Amino acid sequence: MAKQPAKPKGADQILIEQLMLNVGRISAVIEERGKNIFVQGNILSKDEINDYSVEFLELFVMLLQGGAKVDRRSAEFKALRQFFTTMSQQIQVRGGSMEEFVRYIQFMQHVIIEGLGEEGELSGQQLKETLLLLAGVFNDIILDVYRVYLEQKESTIQAQQEELREISTPITEIWDGVLTLPIIGTLDSSRTMIVMEKLLERIEQDRARVVVMDVTGVLAIDSQVSHHLVQMIRAVGLMGASAILTGIRPEIARALTSLNIELGDVLTRSTLAEGLKEAFKYLNVQVVAGH
Amino acid sequence: MSKERIQGMHLTPIGGAVVLLEPGDGLDPTDADAYLEPLASYLQVQEARRLIYDLATVPVIDGVYYDWLKSVHAICAICGVEMVVAGMTPSAAYALAHTLNETPPFACALNVDRAR
Repeated sequence: MAKQPAKPKGADQILIEQLMLNVGRISAVIEERGKNIFVQGNILSKDEINDYSVEFLELFVMLLQGGAKVDRRSAEFKALRQFFTTMSQQIQVRGGSMEEFVRYIQFMQHVIIEGLGEEGELSGQQLKETLLLLAGVFNDIILDVYRVYLEQKESTIQAQQEELREISTPITEIWDGVLTLPIIGTLDSSRTMIVMEKLLERIEQDRARVVVMDVTGVLAIDSQVSHHLVQMIRAVGLMGASAILTGIRPEIARALTSLNIELGDVLTRSTLAEGLKEAFKYLNVQVVAGH
Repeated sequence: MSKERIQGMHLTPIGGAVVLLEPGDGLDPTDADAYLEPLASYLQVQEARRLIYDLATVPVIDGVYYDWLKSVHAICAICGVEMVVAGMTPSAAYALAHTLNETPPFACALNVDRAR
């Protein structure tokens, strides 16, 4: 019986063999590069780099053992992606550069490709298949790493926005039943919405009776800003609390009269201290100096 | 305590010449005339001096509902009864403040206890 010609090796087998034969060298090169990038920048320790290199090679071989057609839904592929996702998060948390990390991933790919050239036994078709397999896997990994990076950035931005919102509405319960709200900067529609929402919630939560709104930090006032102020004061009144407006500077008062804006029956005081005195008076609270 | 039920609202004397009004689902604020006379009659029978209108169960106060509240306030004023609106939710106060062009004629309180 004529001997059947040997079936040409698939891309997965080629890569597995190459990795098995050169695992020490590949691992050493990857570790060395990792140390140069991450250890010098104090992002990862030497031990961590070593562990990551070994784990990467193990996971990659496990993925290749599944066949030349990489199943992107397979547990092995998910494990490899998870590995890079975790590494990416760790690098980000420690202040590492995402660009450097992606370059490091590309470097891993290059090391494996360079190893292929050394064998010199591969046909053009085998080489093409192997390169396509590598490109597919590493592109997916890089996309994942960027997705995680963007998610992390987005959550950071959201947290910062939330922090800014908190800072822009520093509502403080300065006394039992007395809230103070210093308004600094411009009071546009969107900010009024946020401030008002927070303020009304705090009135309900703290069962506030008086709200002292201080506009010392408002540099300019126009009809829209004053309209927003009146809306806010009215909403405070609807919640059953009394609003005291303080810190209207002379130029603001002048602007209000020039704009023919009436604050109606809004209780105003010149300073925050005066406003607080008024609030205490309203609550029948007397502040007496100690001995 | 004698409870009175005018269609769409519960009226409860809660002591000290104070009557609590709790609007129900059946209340039609567009038909103020149907309620005002029985309400005035009840307040007079109870010799009420204050009416607490509990808004805790009213999620939104639009222009129509606000006009209804003003009508109740007007009839109360004629009967010598002070009307206090209580329990407006933050979202209702927020929405109403955006539509109002005037200071409401009635007093407001955080809740029924504060309105007493």
